[in-house]
Amino acid sequence: MASSEQNPLVPEMGTITKIIDETPDVKTFHVTTPNGKPFTPKPGQLAMLSLVPVGEAMFSITWQGDDYLEFSIKRVGVMTDALHEVEVGAAVGVRGPYGNSFPVDIMKGKDIVFIGGGIGLAPLRSLINHCVANRDDFGKLEVLYGSRSPADLVFKYDLFDNWPKVKDMDVYVTVDRGDDDWKGKVGFVPAYLEELKPSPEGKIAVTCGPPVMIKYVLQSLEKLGFSDEQVITTLEMRMKCGVGKCGRCNIGSKYICLDGPVFSLAELKKLPPEW
Amino acid sequence: MKAVSKEKLPALLEELAKEGTLYVPSSSGDMSRFVPWKSDIQIDLDHNTTMSLKGILFPQTEVLYDYKFGEENTVEPPPPGSEKIIVFGVRPCDVQAIRCLDEVFLTRTYVDSYYKEKRERLIIISLGCTVAEDTCFCKDMGVNPVEAEGADMVLFDLDGEYGFEEKTDKGKEIAKKIASQLSETSKKKPEAPSFSLQVNSKGIVEKLQKMFERPIWEEVSQKCIGCNTCAYLCPTCHCFDINSKNTEAMKGYKYRTWDACLGKDYALMAGGHDVRPSKVERIRNRYLHKLLFFQERYGMFLCTGCGRCLRECPAGMNIAGFINQLEGVTVDG
Ligand SMILES: Cc1cc2nc3c(=O)[nH]c(=O)nc-3n(C[C@H](O)[C@H](O)[C@H](O)COP(=O)(O)OP(=O)(O)OC[C@H]3O[C@@H](n4cnc5c(N)ncnc54)[C@H](O)[C@@H]3O)c2cc1C
Ligand code: FES
Repeated sequence: MASSEQNPLVPEMGTITKIIDETPDVKTFHVTTPNGKPFTPKPGQLAMLSLVPVGEAMFSITWQGDDYLEFSIKRVGVMTDALHEVEVGAAVGVRGPYGNSFPVDIMKGKDIVFIGGGIGLAPLRSLINHCVANRDDFGKLEVLYGSRSPADLVFKYDLFDNWPKVKDMDVYVTVDRGDDDWKGKVGFVPAYLEELKPSPEGKIAVTCGPPVMIKYVLQSLEKLGFSDEQVITTLEMRMKCGVGKCGRCNIGSKYICLDGPVFSLAELKKLPPEW
Repeated sequence: MKAVSKEKLPALLEELAKEGTLYVPSSSGDMSRFVPWKSDIQIDLDHNTTMSLKGILFPQTEVLYDYKFGEENTVEPPPPGSEKIIVFGVRPCDVQAIRCLDEVFLTRTYVDSYYKEKRERLIIISLGCTVAEDTCFCKDMGVNPVEAEGADMVLFDLDGEYGFEEKTDKGKEIAKKIASQLSETSKKKPEAPSFSLQVNSKGIVEKLQKMFERPIWEEVSQKCIGCNTCAYLCPTCHCFDINSKNTEAMKGYKYRTWDACLGKDYALMAGGHDVRPSKVERIRNRYLHKLLFFQERYGMFLCTGCGRCLRECPAGMNIAGFINQLEGVTVDG
């Protein structure tokens, strides 16, 4: 975490060193600075990226290398549109790492089922890759992921190539609507979850996706017998400062940028039902 | 107690102004605010100011850094100031507001460099109240209307003279500088004024914790026109937005501005999801932030009872009335 003596609102200037086209509206960016990796985040943490003259926005750090941070960014507005236009070598500001992180210590030794939808796989991926990198610390790993269409699936190289090769790891992919080439599953994530029926025994479920998906996934997990402590999710709110000052991201007395974005369902249920 | 006669106040202020930038309350038209002191300035110590001293520590717009792109990409925050900032005549409710802002900007993991830099240079000379206006309710929000806890020095209106009491090391230092202007008085500190507005804030935290889903929010938010006047005048509202301004193709600055939670798109997110789509949710969030969430996070109210929002709201929203309305609400357990 940044020391309190640093000015937390000033970014470090870095560059984009690699761009991967994921889907028609999602790209993955590698960001580094003249001093190497800007910082070493924990799984689930966030960073503020700025295309300085355009704007600044908060993103999950989806993974990291020895000398770069990785972000997967969906094009939805002014700043993200501009980011999608830049080329390798472009200047980008970065500040962070922000927020808490996934509670990897309490997940050790447990089976984990990851349930993601759309760009919601971006925050989960830092944890999934952490579990893969420390494979023996965890039990069975299962990833259930869905998107609107086959073209909208992010991280296809992980979903179809990297992760299925990992020992004792299964990947289940579904799409809302198939196309002529799609041979896989068609249907919504919560329905597929109820079909797969993961047993809550010794297991933790981690979910992230659009608000509607989260709502139904939480209901399905409850039906399957998961307790509120066994369910972990990450929240998203509008953010400006990222450091618990600007007041933008509150739910009740919690600031999602500082106290979140990761919460267990048990913790969430203590907050006003605005999430 | 040390004191100065009211006629000698200008000379004392002149002395204080030698120590740094001195701000004093002054009116122009219907508005009053703290402005840098000049010898010909009309000081208004009869009423609290329309705008609190918040903007001195947390300006309405503030440059965070200059940026430049090209061969080299640089970001450069403005250099810190060095002058002392002395604010004279701050009312106890507004001193309490600074204590709230201190919690926000100086604690909980991150320290806001811009606020801290000015806060360290700030010296607060408070003026205890002898009269409460009909919108004042600081006493009921836990503020001492005379003593101004948190001030560096407190002034008491003693009829014809001002008594001085220094409260901190900074206050003692200032007292030394003006010692030659002060004489001893035998008068006693004034009594707390009597308040025509009574607000019952006892037990509201526990009550509000159980009131998130209640028809009262619908009722209480009906009048609100979402103009955010309350937030702009509020001495404790600290929300801010961050934007950038290009001054040349590859040059510009990042700045923050005051922001306010009653605006329509305040919580709107990509994909159209909005956790506070109507004024019912927005007023609920505002009132709960003031009266419950800040208590849960920092152990104090984010309302000091200064009464500005009651006095100035064009739609007649009234947080004091709301608190009193809670007396009639029953929650179980
Ligand atoms: C904790 C957190 C993690 C995130 N992780 C990712 C990620 O990994 N990948 C990714 O693509 N996006 C992520 N986002 C969302 C991302 O911050 C927004 O998509 C981005 O801010 C939109 O900026 P813009 O300038 O392009 O859009 P704007 O032009 O500002 O607005 C376009 C739309 O997005 C909304 N919006 C603006 N700011 C935000 C915001 N901070 N969050 C949500 N909606 C917003 C606006 O209300 C509007 O509807 C995350 C957001 C948060 C808070
Ligand atoms: S983004 Fe500013 S408080 Fe969370």
